[in-house]
Amino acid sequence: MTITTVPEPVLAPSTTPRRRGGGRRGQGWAAFFFLIPWGAGIVLLTVGPMLYSLYLSFTSYDLLSAPEWVGLANYELMLADPRFWKSVRVTLVYVVVFVPLLQVVSMLVALLLNSRLRFLTGYRALFYLPSLMGASVAVAALWRQVFGAEGLVNAVLGVFGVEGVGSWVGDPNRALGTIIGLNLWAFGSTMIIYLAGLRQVPRELLEAAEVDGASRLRRFFSVTLPLMTPLAFFNVLMGTINAFQSFTGAYVVSGGTGGPVDSTLFYTLYLYERGFTQLQMGYASAMAWILLVVLAVVTGLFFRSSRYWVHYGDES
Amino acid sequence: MSTAQTRVAMPRPWSAETQRPARNKVLRGIIKHAVLICFLLIMLYPLLWMVGASFRPGNQTFAGLGIFSDTYTAQNYADGWSVGNLNFSRYFVNSAIITVGAILGNLVACSLTAYAFARLEFRFKGVLFGLVIATMLLPQHVTLIPKYIIFNQMGWVNTYLPLVVPHWFAVDAFFVFLMVQFIRTLPKSLDESARIDGCGHWGIFWRIVLPMSLPAIGTTAMFTFVAAWNDLLGPLLYLPRSDLWTVSLGLNSFLDQTGQSTYGTLFAMATLSLAPIVGFFIASQRLLVEGIATTGLK
Amino acid sequence: MNRFSRRTTVLGVGVLTGVLLTTSGCLNGGGGAAQVSDGQGEVGGNIQIAWWGGESRNAKTNAVVEMFTEANPGVTTETQSADYAQYFNRLNVQAASQSLPCVVQMQDRQVNDYTKRQTLMPLDEMVASGAIDTSQIPPAVLDGGRGSDGKLYFIPYGIAWDALVVNTTLAEETDAGAPPEEWDWPTFVEYLRTAQKGLPEGKYAAPAGGQLQNTFYAWAVAHGIEVFNAEGKLGFTEAQLKEFWTMWLELQEEGVSLPPDMAAEEPPGADQGYLATGTTMVGALPGNALYVASQTLEGTDSGGELVSRRYPDGPAGIGNILVASGFGIAANCDNVPTSAAFIDFFTNDLEAGVGFAADNGAPTNTAVLEALTGSDSELPELKRAELEQYEAIVADNPPKVNYPPGFNAVFQQSFQRNYNEAAFGRQSVDDAVATFFAETNASLG
Repeated sequence: MTITTVPEPVLAPSTTPRRRGGGRRGQGWAAFFFLIPWGAGIVLLTVGPMLYSLYLSFTSYDLLSAPEWVGLANYELMLADPRFWKSVRVTLVYVVVFVPLLQVVSMLVALLLNSRLRFLTGYRALFYLPSLMGASVAVAALWRQVFGAEGLVNAVLGVFGVEGVGSWVGDPNRALGTIIGLNLWAFGSTMIIYLAGLRQVPRELLEAAEVDGASRLRRFFSVTLPLMTPLAFFNVLMGTINAFQSFTGAYVVSGGTGGPVDSTLFYTLYLYERGFTQLQMGYASAMAWILLVVLAVVTGLFFRSSRYWVHYGDES
Repeated sequence: MSTAQTRVAMPRPWSAETQRPARNKVLRGIIKHAVLICFLLIMLYPLLWMVGASFRPGNQTFAGLGIFSDTYTAQNYADGWSVGNLNFSRYFVNSAIITVGAILGNLVACSLTAYAFARLEFRFKGVLFGLVIATMLLPQHVTLIPKYIIFNQMGWVNTYLPLVVPHWFAVDAFFVFLMVQFIRTLPKSLDESARIDGCGHWGIFWRIVLPMSLPAIGTTAMFTFVAAWNDLLGPLLYLPRSDLWTVSLGLNSFLDQTGQSTYGTLFAMATLSLAPIVGFFIASQRLLVEGIATTGLK
Repeated sequence: MNRFSRRTTVLGVGVLTGVLLTTSGCLNGGGGAAQVSDGQGEVGGNIQIAWWGGESRNAKTNAVVEMFTEANPGVTTETQSADYAQYFNRLNVQAASQSLPCVVQMQDRQVNDYTKRQTLMPLDEMVASGAIDTSQIPPAVLDGGRGSDGKLYFIPYGIAWDALVVNTTLAEETDAGAPPEEWDWPTFVEYLRTAQKGLPEGKYAAPAGGQLQNTFYAWAVAHGIEVFNAEGKLGFTEAQLKEFWTMWLELQEEGVSLPPDMAAEEPPGADQGYLATGTTMVGALPGNALYVASQTLEGTDSGGELVSRRYPDGPAGIGNILVASGFGIAANCDNVPTSAAFIDFFTNDLEAGVGFAADNGAPTNTAVLEALTGSDSELPELKRAELEQYEAIVADNPPKVNYPPGFNAVFQQSFQRNYNEAAFGRQSVDDAVATFFAETNASLG
């Protein structure tokens, strides 16, 4: 299995060489007790359903009658399914554009908010506000107000004399852009993690750099950024995983169809349509496991690369 | 590690402003405020519009792009509040019970798990951590049916248990991973000094790691709050009985493809449903971002 | 690295076996013949009742449920409701774990997905034994509740139909004037073209009719074309669909019908659509949405009056098709007598029917319908106009469309998407038609 490559690099830089006796003794037992809740959850709630879905991916299962073994048929169908490939393309474009944008915007706003401004508490709350709307059913209506043919964006363009732009959410060439905008709108949670990281940067290190004559930019790149790499690593990795699984925004705005004409047919949206609308849970499970394998490879590469750029405080 | 000593001595977080001359500082402050406010206005327009629309009469909800209108009414709030078999006060209570249960569960279970992965050495650690990550990689839609069958067999449908209990078993790998990353940014020398003072693993976890992980705890609490509060699919499946409805199910009942949708009341109740989250955020963000400064440990 | 695989495999096999053992017993009942009951027995105990709808329907349905429990002491109920799409999502998950509510709401458009897998109980015996009285429902209307095997699986209580709703305020500003009482397709299209010439910029005479499945049925049925054949596959030809789509693509080209990008962002629900906001002059709406659409229109700056017309007739006669909704009983139900009693009450009790106020289509029960359209009815005038239109349509004996299993899963989405591929100019009409046929036939039957 591809996952096997994942965990090793994380733990490779162990602080001290493993030794018997002293403080290390009994760590196995301590770990056992600390891991009881998680272990019980994995065994009772997580692994079973996951493996069951793996089994379903080799069956034809319509939810209403018993699953029927079909071997690799779902996987073969998938490779020949033009809409499957459409959803792959939509998702890849989204990941490539959205993940870097999200990191840059979140980091910039976090930097802006990591200072001694008045009303800072208020600002933080307000920037976080859009993330709280989540998947609310109200979001679809709000997004039409902004990106519809008669929406705010076109009204503003009209002021500058640009007319006849048409709908943004309704145009297949632009609809994906509005979904990227929607999910970017909720950058608050990524920002909060960066902000918490920035707060941990010890002030004396930056002051020392300033005394040495380092410019602001240089201080950011050689002091702040390295110290934030564990959280940046977390944000980039989770951002990527979430982007591959992006569902809610497109589901809400397109009314579950991935339209117009499949232009926002995200991978998981298509998976959902197959599983719950077309009642082909076998096919949906096969799609899910292909995604798991792809994400395992991506995650593995991330972890492998992390030893070159992520600096942990627990390393000597 | 000498840095750890100095960090303890210097609790104030660093800020760009501390070293600036006064005149420059005022100017920079004004520019910053201007940038932030412009950005905020653009970002918050949809929400402001929603609040504005919630105060318009029902059939003028979509009357325009403006935030203000000629006539204001609180009718949507009155109508919306009393919707359904019960009313929104009950839905708020139901949501609150689930949310609190989920937050407590995540905090306890995820921090225990994260401590083990971040600080302890044990066999198969790499493999098990790989398993933590792997559980995040499968789209949840395909495990929904088997999970439902398990909970249904246990007779947990129409109880809060399926929405609360899993959190006590650290099923949200996202938070385990987040806390592992946070804890690993903490210098290990602190553990060592605690060990010299006679602390066991539990003591280190409880006295050293937890207090220093307050930002991670605040973040976990906040994210769990948002996720549990907004969750629609979970309550839809596990709480079909209408006296168990949560706020998100209540909101969903304002829309009806096959009949009449009442967007005015939807916007009114959506506005109200944001209030607890905003309140929780403001209350918890001291913990979230000021945590390190106030504990004075780092 | 091998460690991981081996241990996971061992662990996995163990857990998987456990899960399979515990779940295989409850994943479907094993495909045997569906349970049959005559519905006779003691009415009492608890039943679960599920339907789709928003808050206004919930309030009305709950009122009826309360009347039922008052009339039947000893019966307790648990009610479940959700919006249409969510309702079916939940229903499918419940079906997968054999825990459907006893009384479930069904529509003829997807009932065969469930009858094919024996998820519902046939009701014919209950009707024969008198547990459910259907004598007040016209036989042709009752047929809406039959599956493709001819058995009765739900008792229709409400009938929806599609209508063309015209904004006469807009129409009378143009040379087209008020719409005629009846029309055929050429007159209808001509009416739209004439109207468009007099409409202000940004207003459209017609919706994007090419993407609306109900509009297509109306056109097909009026032309004597069978939508689905006996095998449950598409009954029309590629050329026929091409003719229909080309007609609408031309109207779009001329600016008479909505451009596809606007159609794509149209809010769901008749009360928020473009007709209700005064953007289009004609809308294809459920006939029972006239009242709610006109309420929204009143709130717009321009205002406007709405009238409802039937679909154009064709060589084969009337094109309006009826969509039946009603309650059925799940095969896993353990309280059939009470469930049958509830369905009987919901469909036949006069007071309950009047209280429900035709919230999900015209009442199938003729006594209820008469009470609602009668002179002492408390319904708003437009609401009564809706029901009168229904009576006129039923009098013309519209044909029934038999929706095969798999229909609900793919038809509407594929129809809309492939039409729009052509409308956006991303595919030729021929390619779009071919893709639609391939996609849909693969899932039907």
